[in-house]
Amino acid sequence: MLNFSRFVVTRAIMAMITLIIVSLVVFSLMELVPGDCAERYLAFKNTQGSGISVADIETERKRLGLDQPFLTRWGLWIVNAFQGEFGDSCILRVNIAQLLGSKFWLSLGICLASLTLAYAIAIPVGILSAATNNPYLNNGLRLFSYLGLAMPNFLLALIIMLISTVWFGETLTGLFSKEYRDAPWDWDKFVDLLKHAWLPVFILGWSATAFALQTVRALMSDEIGKLYVTAAAARGVHGRRLLWRYPARHALGPIINSLGFDLNRIFNELPIVALILVMTDAGALLIEALARSNDQQLAGAIIFLLTASIVTLNFLTDVLLAVIDPRVRKSILR
Amino acid sequence: MSNPPDPLKPNLAETTGPHVQVVETEDAVERRAKEAYFTASQSQLIWARFKKQRAAMVAAIVLVVLVLSGLFAPFLSPYDPTIAGRDRDYTNGAPQLPQFCDKNGCSARPFIHAVERERSIATNFRWVTKVNEDKRHYLRFFVEGDRYELFGFIPMDTHLFGVEDAKIHIFGTDEDGQDIFSRTLHAIWTSMQVGTIGVFIAFVLALIIGGISGYYGGWIDGVIQMITDAVRTVPAIPLFMAVAAFMPPEMTAEARFFYISMILGLIGWPTLARRVRTHLLTERNQEYVLAAQLCGASSGHVIRKHLLPSFTSYIIVDLVISFPYMVLSETALSFIGLGLKDPVSSLGVMLQKATSADVLLNYQWYFIPVLFFIALVMAFVFVGDGLRDAADPYSDNSR
Repeated sequence: MLNFSRFVVTRAIMAMITLIIVSLVVFSLMELVPGDCAERYLAFKNTQGSGISVADIETERKRLGLDQPFLTRWGLWIVNAFQGEFGDSCILRVNIAQLLGSKFWLSLGICLASLTLAYAIAIPVGILSAATNNPYLNNGLRLFSYLGLAMPNFLLALIIMLISTVWFGETLTGLFSKEYRDAPWDWDKFVDLLKHAWLPVFILGWSATAFALQTVRALMSDEIGKLYVTAAAARGVHGRRLLWRYPARHALGPIINSLGFDLNRIFNELPIVALILVMTDAGALLIEALARSNDQQLAGAIIFLLTASIVTLNFLTDVLLAVIDPRVRKSILR
Repeated sequence: MSNPPDPLKPNLAETTGPHVQVVETEDAVERRAKEAYFTASQSQLIWARFKKQRAAMVAAIVLVVLVLSGLFAPFLSPYDPTIAGRDRDYTNGAPQLPQFCDKNGCSARPFIHAVERERSIATNFRWVTKVNEDKRHYLRFFVEGDRYELFGFIPMDTHLFGVEDAKIHIFGTDEDGQDIFSRTLHAIWTSMQVGTIGVFIAFVLALIIGGISGYYGGWIDGVIQMITDAVRTVPAIPLFMAVAAFMPPEMTAEARFFYISMILGLIGWPTLARRVRTHLLTERNQEYVLAAQLCGASSGHVIRKHLLPSFTSYIIVDLVISFPYMVLSETALSFIGLGLKDPVSSLGVMLQKATSADVLLNYQWYFIPVLFFIALVMAFVFVGDGLRDAADPYSDNSR
């Protein structure tokens, strides 16, 4: 038990260090964008008719704390970030935590749902295809996996949009119906969300499924020929019971381990799919902040939150694996 | 005139005796095959195994065709892909497929019908494109057209095909009247170039970083791995977006092109670096390395002559597999407007216009290039996978 808690603490510290390095990368990127928040905000004011002088920029800079050295500001940013506080958006002048609010959880939810969908399909099908020698099934799955690799989610989204507009004449866009868009959360709104969210979940799950399928299949094929499986079969265990109790248990370890990176892959596509499907979630805000309004504060906050979720998931899966498999514990504590 | 007879190769047909045929015994054939197998170099073995996989071979042929069509894009495409080659009279035009027959009869030479723009009370005084089925434009080969430079330095103006007195758009045109077929071919080439530069930068970085990390191990490895993990944890496309956001909008198309390739390379190294590192970590304790060291080989010699060759095939396979990711990342980036911009043709640039409902409903031929890109990426994936199977010396056992 002591050993286990030592493992958890070590792993948590490692996760923290990763997050801090990530935050340094993200913060440096935000700093490298030409022009700072003060200039941008005042330039925005300028277009609205109020004249701006150099002195105004300086006072605004001081007010935002932009005159401090880089490391001080990074330290402040990271301390605040860990408390869920990201300051104000450069352009919109609203508190980022408020602006993101439920939108971030919405995005995270959609991604996790896609991940669940991907694994719900990939694990049984992958195990099955590794266990059978049916060439049609195997070649079909291979082709599907390749298609999942070759057709990125945003192309799939575009093609689905094309088909749905041509055949059904309606666009399957958005996350909510009009009447629920600004309504407070309740059961009806949730049901409405489910009615719209299946499409992004399906699209985002598409390549994730293809990837997971390949991994499951490869791992299962490696395990299935091993001696302990033969031994179990010789003892009279067969069928589904043999697959699930012996090779699958060993094969699933690395898959649980890669959950974090699968989430990473899904996040990857989220902003672009959000753009195509006209979703109003954090992914769409990220595109807006980066490609349109150049709002580095907002973009940095979203990228940081995305990464923090991945790091958290990585941490959780490692702990989960350690519970199942003592070898993992040893590899870190060594 | 007959040549003087060669005493080493008697012409059996000219001898007066019964016809003699040189037949090798089965044993000799088998022995030669074995000999060829045992003396074959590694690349010959990989090629032999690769040839056996039908899907990978087909993909390799498709890939070669696509690469060649990208390389010869200016010659194969009838028009200039930029705004200079646009057809003002045929904007948002449907694909024109050459045909042999119409209601006026058939012809041996394929032709397309003429299109005319007209505006009258019947069309509500808007310009409307109409097909005139009585007027034909015949297809011609090796026509002269827009000037271009083949491979960037051979000035030419001959194009593979075209029609007389008009323009042919076999994939249709976009809203500016640019020929989608010409743009697609150029876009394939652009994506390949961006991908190649990106893969190359990522490759060099990965070898250096992964090599240092794996060879030295210890705390150097620990620090490098932490940084690698941090870079790997940030989702790539948001990271690409953040880096690409520095590009000033007034940047020239060429500068943008190189910048994008560099970004792709600078962010794409961690996966390969990690593999190189893992490989070096396990390989450096192998017996053959120890044997070389005991023979007095310097560490530089061990790395160059023993460690690196032990996984060159692996690295090559990894490069082929990572190539489509570069292409797709570029496409995604250009698609959201942070990558390449309009004078340059790339799939992302071309698809930007395809999201509007108007295009989805009326001009579906905007999607034709997508098929080419799926084919390109699929070909790469299949070839990469085939190479991976072929390069793995143990793959024969599992089959």
